[in-house]
Amino acid sequence: MSQETLSRPALSLALPQKKKRSLFAGDTRLGWLLVTPALLVVLGMVGYPFVEAIRISFTDRMVGRGPGRWVGLANYEYILGWPGFTEMVVRTVLITVAAVAIKTLVGLILATSLNQEFRGRNILRGIFMLPWILPTYIIVLVWRWIFDGQTGLLNQILMSFGMISENVPFLARTGSAVSLLIFVMVWKGYPFYALTFLAGMQTISSELYDAAKVDGAGRLARFRHITLPGLQQVMGVVILLSTIWTMNSLEIPMLLTGGGPSNATEVFPLLTYHLAMQNFRLGEGAALPIMMLPVIGLLVLGVASYMDREATQ
Amino acid sequence: MTRLLDRIPESIFRVLSAVVILTLFTIILFPLYFMVTTSFKFDKEIYSELTWIPRDPTLSNFRDVIVNFHIPLYLSNTLLVALSTTAIVVVISVLAAYALTRLRFPGRAVMARGVLFVYLIPGSLMLIPMYLIIVKAGLKDTFPGLIVANMSFSVPFCTWLMMGYLRTLSSEIEEASLIDGCTRMRSLWHIVIPLSIPAIVTASIFIFNNVWNEYIFALVLAQDDKHKMISIGLANFYRSDYYMVGPMMAGSLIAMTPVLILYVLAQRYVVGGLAAGAVKG
Repeated sequence: MSQETLSRPALSLALPQKKKRSLFAGDTRLGWLLVTPALLVVLGMVGYPFVEAIRISFTDRMVGRGPGRWVGLANYEYILGWPGFTEMVVRTVLITVAAVAIKTLVGLILATSLNQEFRGRNILRGIFMLPWILPTYIIVLVWRWIFDGQTGLLNQILMSFGMISENVPFLARTGSAVSLLIFVMVWKGYPFYALTFLAGMQTISSELYDAAKVDGAGRLARFRHITLPGLQQVMGVVILLSTIWTMNSLEIPMLLTGGGPSNATEVFPLLTYHLAMQNFRLGEGAALPIMMLPVIGLLVLGVASYMDREATQ
Repeated sequence: MTRLLDRIPESIFRVLSAVVILTLFTIILFPLYFMVTTSFKFDKEIYSELTWIPRDPTLSNFRDVIVNFHIPLYLSNTLLVALSTTAIVVVISVLAAYALTRLRFPGRAVMARGVLFVYLIPGSLMLIPMYLIIVKAGLKDTFPGLIVANMSFSVPFCTWLMMGYLRTLSSEIEEASLIDGCTRMRSLWHIVIPLSIPAIVTASIFIFNNVWNEYIFALVLAQDDKHKMISIGLANFYRSDYYMVGPMMAGSLIAMTPVLILYVLAQRYVVGGLAAGAVKG
């Protein structure tokens, strides 16, 4: 959209009004023609399933038992009345907030450390991207083996240093299972933060820092008054997008803990999966994510407003 | 705290950064190092003792996954689905992105805005209806079913990425060609697409990577052995309490090789995509 505002005045100066209009004369037909394949995909494979999800959430549909009966709000009432519901929401929010906060913090620290000239920086940057490009399922499966209570690597290492005398079932204890879930989410996610923050830092003019130094601003003052404001845009988008993705992350909890021990890591996407694909209760499985839509909708609106700001700058 | 931080001389600050980088670097490489070394160990060594370097290196795990566990079949399945999805999605999305950024027609603004929203619809909401639709269409356990499911999130993503790129691309040359009597389609083909090659490469890499790394759709949509994706083949090495660690690590190493090669060859484009906030993290 910034493109238009940039190119329009120049164009209207160069061309008489009539000629300009004729440039865009065939646009309506061609536009719709070019958009149609994508539109069909979106309507057929996103729009239709979306409407279907809402409809199914009002039925008692189960896997392999036909279309199900209309039950009104019964699925929603069931989920709201389910004793573990509040706990599940709190757990999802806490895990998401903790993971996003740590990713932001570690990402900022790494970006600041990488934001200086030294040899081998590009190679380092390349290696730090590995967690972000490698398949999530492989990373989670490797960590699950490392943390495993029977034959896991971490137990072997701690044992060889004499720090424990018998195997610790890290993923079977509530506290450590939750911490390790957050750890794996952070491990997978923070390099992306760091590298985007770094890209943002490199667009900040070094003159600003020099001027601040002349004025006697200390390191922290420079970070707070130059770096952070300069990064605000990038950080806003990254944090909001990442909150959406972290909150919806199904693969990591599913493959690392499967929701256990005793539901300690059962976050909302995982519960959705369990309701629908293990208990075969499709109606309830459809209703749960719909109840989460307002939260996700607000986050998406936040992302959109940040992007508009970027476009008008 | 503030005073303290300001009093640290520059040289010590550099040492501190080096320590931070080194620590994080070690934590990044730790699981990857053990994935690689473990894939060359015998079971006995894996389960009974801690060795930093394989004492008796072996290729038996690789032989195992290739001969006994159908990994080559799963790899070729995944390659087929990933390449088909990428090709279809790129064509569809480039056309749509061009129309949404360059042409003036009613409905354009709404659709341009909608792309981001569609892209961010949570997967957990789509999983159930998508599963039912694919089953109803008779596409469960087929490659077209997997391609269709992967397209559902790739098309909005790729369109969004291409729109972002086209907006940064000056339309002056294109408009000059239009004034000279070139048609829209000709200028798209001869001017816009050649100029967009970097973005198209970036988008293709991300789509291929996303499909190659996809797990959830692969899990619910392709359960028969003939159509299994590599992600499911590898996850199956963990069965409740019994882990086949050796084959799992060897298989992982094989499965991530194409991703790594692609990344090394095209690192420049991947870094370019970072700026567009392209990938989930």
